[in-house]
Amino acid sequence: MSRTGFSYDFPHASLVSIGDLNPLDVRMIFERAGVHFENNRAGVRAERTLDGATLINLFFENSTRTLASFEIAAKRLGAHVINFSAGSASISKGESLEDTALTLAAMRPDIQVVRHSAAGAAAYFERVTGVSTVNAGDGAHEHPTQALLDAFTLTRRWGEVGGRRILILGDILHSRVARSNVALLNMLHADVRLCAPATLLPEDADRWGVQVFHDLDDALEGCDAVMALRIQRERMSGGLIPSDREYRALYGLDHARLDQAAPGCLVMHPGPMNRGVEIDGALADDRERAVILEQVEAGVAVRMAVLELISAASPNQRYDDETGDAS
Amino acid sequence: MSTLLFRGARLIDPATRHDDTGDLRVRGGVIAEIAAHIEPEPGDRVIDLDGAVLAPALIDGRCRVNPASSGAGGIDAAARAAAAGGIGTLILAPDSGAGFTRPEHFAPVDAAALTSPVRLIPAGLAIDGDGEMGEIGQMLRAGAAYVGDGGRPEPDTRLVRRALAYAGGFDAWTALTCEDAALARGTCATESDLSMRMGLPARPAAGERLAVERAAVLAELTGARILLDRITTAMALRALESALARDLDMAATVPVTHLMFNEMDTGGFDARYRLEPPLRSEEDRLALIRAFQAGAISAVVSDHRACTGEAKAHPFPEAQPGSANLEALLPALLSLAAEGRLSLIEALWPVTAGPADLFGLDQGRLAPGAPADLIVFDPDAPVIHAPRHRVCSASSAFDQRRLTGKVLITVVEGAIIHQPES
Repeated sequence: MSRTGFSYDFPHASLVSIGDLNPLDVRMIFERAGVHFENNRAGVRAERTLDGATLINLFFENSTRTLASFEIAAKRLGAHVINFSAGSASISKGESLEDTALTLAAMRPDIQVVRHSAAGAAAYFERVTGVSTVNAGDGAHEHPTQALLDAFTLTRRWGEVGGRRILILGDILHSRVARSNVALLNMLHADVRLCAPATLLPEDADRWGVQVFHDLDDALEGCDAVMALRIQRERMSGGLIPSDREYRALYGLDHARLDQAAPGCLVMHPGPMNRGVEIDGALADDRERAVILEQVEAGVAVRMAVLELISAASPNQRYDDETGDAS
Repeated sequence: MSTLLFRGARLIDPATRHDDTGDLRVRGGVIAEIAAHIEPEPGDRVIDLDGAVLAPALIDGRCRVNPASSGAGGIDAAARAAAAGGIGTLILAPDSGAGFTRPEHFAPVDAAALTSPVRLIPAGLAIDGDGEMGEIGQMLRAGAAYVGDGGRPEPDTRLVRRALAYAGGFDAWTALTCEDAALARGTCATESDLSMRMGLPARPAAGERLAVERAAVLAELTGARILLDRITTAMALRALESALARDLDMAATVPVTHLMFNEMDTGGFDARYRLEPPLRSEEDRLALIRAFQAGAISAVVSDHRACTGEAKAHPFPEAQPGSANLEALLPALLSLAAEGRLSLIEALWPVTAGPADLFGLDQGRLAPGAPADLIVFDPDAPVIHAPRHRVCSASSAFDQRRLTGKVLITVVEGAIIHQPES
């Protein structure tokens, strides 16, 4: 692996929280992701840095895109990938979570990618098993690779995100994507804004080093990018918002609204989208504005970078040239 | 009955605020004599304390057990841990096991009491999980210390009013959980900057205040005596103080964990700190300590619950709430005293005279004729609260904490039930 420009080895054998990283770690991830991004586009499959490694995707929550993104990222690097998902028998036989974690760890995977509905689940798996762990979403806590791919997408467009004004719009309260993004964008010195109805904002969000808005037109002023978050249908009934009609009218993103933002303002969405609710369909399809598919593409590259960097830092690495499994 | 003579003790009686050196004789299960100097008599077993503290054994107002268990969560295990922790009287929470809703449910407690080293007193459920009233009158006649909602805040105010009015007719304390049921549902943390960053489902501290305000209004309406079961926030303390200023018949307990820890202790999603109520802010913790000194707190309770390893082997939000605290109750309070936050008398009062007065118990004081429930402890000895040093090794928020104060002897009804050095 190229270490050009870094007199520093990536020190983390796991990625559980953005708070684990420093700006140099992020630069290393972005540099490697840039290489993978171009290779992926060109159809080059040159990097086999995980050759012979075993990666398990341990998804206790339903997911299609994140699971596929991690699977493709790992396979592009030559790893064997095994997927365990919420419905599969091994997880649902009434076994305790600790037993599941220890059982899978006993099969000696090199990396585990964990998604679970409880905050702290990825840290729990890492602590119980000692296996290199990537957090693919733990409750409303964090989804660090999503934040990295978002910032990487913007960095490719702009050169850097520092000094740019970025708005995160929607259900901040229940969003792990928002939490990871606030942490990362703050670290990279972006000017971060949050906008949501008060019921979908954490009580103390004004202490997160961000500006908080309830009015979308005010919030959009001068923004260089907007991340619209998915509004879950079940939020409509819990007394959090009155209706999807009202939400669309006040917080839905469309071309007309974007006139308040800086010229060329980019539109992002972590997916899956509710077209016609948090984002207008025509805007989502506008390739001049929306970088939503670019985010998905960046997702694979960023996850390749994260997987190879943490595996190189892992003290358990066993799949080097001498001892690697035959693949 | 044997006769014990403790000599050279530092006698501390929180009930009378007495703190002086002296001797104490126990005969026939009661305190026979207290004086500056007592001459040994033939047949006296003389124990020289060399300045160690002799105080009333502790009364723990809330310990949750599973009467059906013979393991760490059972009554026997709790009684043994209590003895080691200097607790002479253990009040078993109404929500123990499936809940005590009828006097027959006390049978396992009565059975355990035959061999228990410590005194066991059950408390009854005033309202069960189905919204029905427990057999309040019969449970009180069968010896229940109090009745209560058993840690489950009842959303139906009409039902709470009726249970209060009914129990009030027996002049008993009705313990109410200080939470708003809907605000607390599905949460595991207190709303704060920290819990929001951690993405934990959280409840506002104001929910506790709402519950205290509702209780105060119901106390006014029914004239019932309301015990606020585990008050933990500064906001709720202010509501309590205002109720007490209006001469309402209210009292409050505080869980020992909330005197020692704040929400920052959960920082690493550590399931040992998954407690109910959840840990609060440092400001709340300091307010609770100040509330002692002002006399607004009647009792500090262990709120002990022995959770199995399996119940704790989950990510923080899904782990079972609870902590094994019986052996930490005294050292935790003594640690606060050692830090200079409380005097020894202030530290001991809410686990001796406070609960004794609250529940009308004869023990919990050093007075001739009072039951000889006593402890001897070293208030300055450093201890590490490690599972291997404990009788109850279940998950505890105090695990590996350095505390101050060591129980040397526990005496219940004149009999030495715990003396590790001998």
